Amino acid sequence: MTKDPYQVLGVSPSASDDDIAKAYRKLAKTYHPDVNHGSPEAAAKMSEINAAYERIKSGAAAQGSGPYQGQAGYGAQGSYGQAGYGQGGASSSDPFGFGFDPFEFFSGGFAGGRQGASPLGQARSFINAGLFAKADDLLKSMDDRGAEWHCLRAVAQSGMGNAIDALRHAKTAVQMEPDNPEYRGVLNQLQNGGQAYRQRSQGYGMPTVNLGNICLGVILTNLFCTFCRPF
Amino acid sequence: MFGFVSANPERLSPEAAERYQAGYCGLCHALGSRHGDAARLTVNYDMTFLALYLAAVYDEPGERGTERCVVHPFKAHEYLGGRIADYAADMNVLLAYHDAMDGWNDDRDALGLARAKLLEKEYRRVEAAYPRQSRAVGDRMAELAAIEKRGEPNPDLPARRFGELMGEIFVMDDEGDDERSGAVAAGLRDFGRALGAFVYIMDACVDLERDLRSESYNPMVATPSDQFDDILDVLMAGCVRAHERLVALVPAMRDRDLIENILYSGVWTRYEAHKRKKEKAAR
Repeated sequence: MTKDPYQVLGVSPSASDDDIAKAYRKLAKTYHPDVNHGSPEAAAKMSEINAAYERIKSGAAAQGSGPYQGQAGYGAQGSYGQAGYGQGGASSSDPFGFGFDPFEFFSGGFAGGRQGASPLGQARSFINAGLFAKADDLLKSMDDRGAEWHCLRAVAQSGMGNAIDALRHAKTAVQMEPDNPEYRGVLNQLQNGGQAYRQRSQGYGMPTVNLGNICLGVILTNLFCTFCRPF
Repeated sequence: MFGFVSANPERLSPEAAERYQAGYCGLCHALGSRHGDAARLTVNYDMTFLALYLAAVYDEPGERGTERCVVHPFKAHEYLGGRIADYAADMNVLLAYHDAMDGWNDDRDALGLARAKLLEKEYRRVEAAYPRQSRAVGDRMAELAAIEKRGEPNPDLPARRFGELMGEIFVMDDEGDDERSGAVAAGLRDFGRALGAFVYIMDACVDLERDLRSESYNPMVATPSDQFDDILDVLMAGCVRAHERLVALVPAMRDRDLIENILYSGVWTRYEAHKRKKEKAAR
């Protein structure tokens, strides 16, 4: 059941970082869903490749071989964590920059989940204690990645201030189990403001023009004046 | 990474389009007068937006001038000058130099090296005049290069670095010691960070197929592309929240219509154009 991540990428455990990254990108080029017209087999293979790559990277990071690797790199409770995007001046009830407070959220929404013995239960306990980086490390070490795993990962990542990764995992959890109210709840919280933004944005209508990159006219010629101003 | 923060001209009133145009010409004019004609070639929409945004937040209309430039030799047009246009021009040189050097370091892009060489003298002057900004740009670019080199799978890490870079650029003035100017500087930093993170991720989304083909680093490779829109929406939501906090500090913000055209619509121009191209190719 447990697949050796090195085997998945087809590299030896002693391969250099460079070779591992190269092997990953070669596989991504073949199996990325965008180049396979949504083939479910390719998507499954890509998930497996992504998980293997992430496990290897986080394993290397755990040895602390660089300034941004390991927990510090994820900004876990560190100076980069909790900042979110554009949230620095937010109220103190929103320390993670997602428009909600994970502590409060999970003491409500998550306390009901099973905690304790199983690895997923343990990750839940870490999350409820506010130990997001610990929860994340534990989750990363697991192979069985179902909807609940993705949901917990989303919460851990958001607790660490990683909005993008959090949203990706929450969406994946809901895609896997669309009817689960807990996963939907997490996704809604993480999408905080996104839908309202989209609505207002659509009020403007999406742009349909192709803008030139820059005022190329300066370089090329001074004859075609009308083409080089922005509009 | 540059050229994403533009207006959507279809949704601007002719009068607002004129104001936008004057800002763009103002930046180009400042580049020419401060850094020479070669620097004019680097004029871009992102720094036009920087000038526009700073002028709004500091409520400085700028100095109006008219000129006939190389591009428009027969028709005199208005431009906006002043200290904010000058600042945006200096930041333009700073970023254009790093962008060119980045191209050289990543892909041995000889044109990049040539561009960098052309700007080098001006870049050194800017570097000396703005130690905080130039250090931030230099350090964050170096960190980004390291993140890309080690193939970091988590997209938040590089996005945050690029956001921090942009945040420092948006803080034109952190000298003021009263409470309000401190709040304005902090607000601008938050806003720039959010916008920078958005731009970084949008750039990655647009480049995904190309990077897959060339087997290059792309932070969004592990994220299914049907999730891109939602992720970008959430990032922009953070950005407009930071903007709203600045609006609260600067009631009756000038050019707010123009700014919000850019934040709600213009920033999608290149992304939508890319999507249309992709759909056309699929058909």
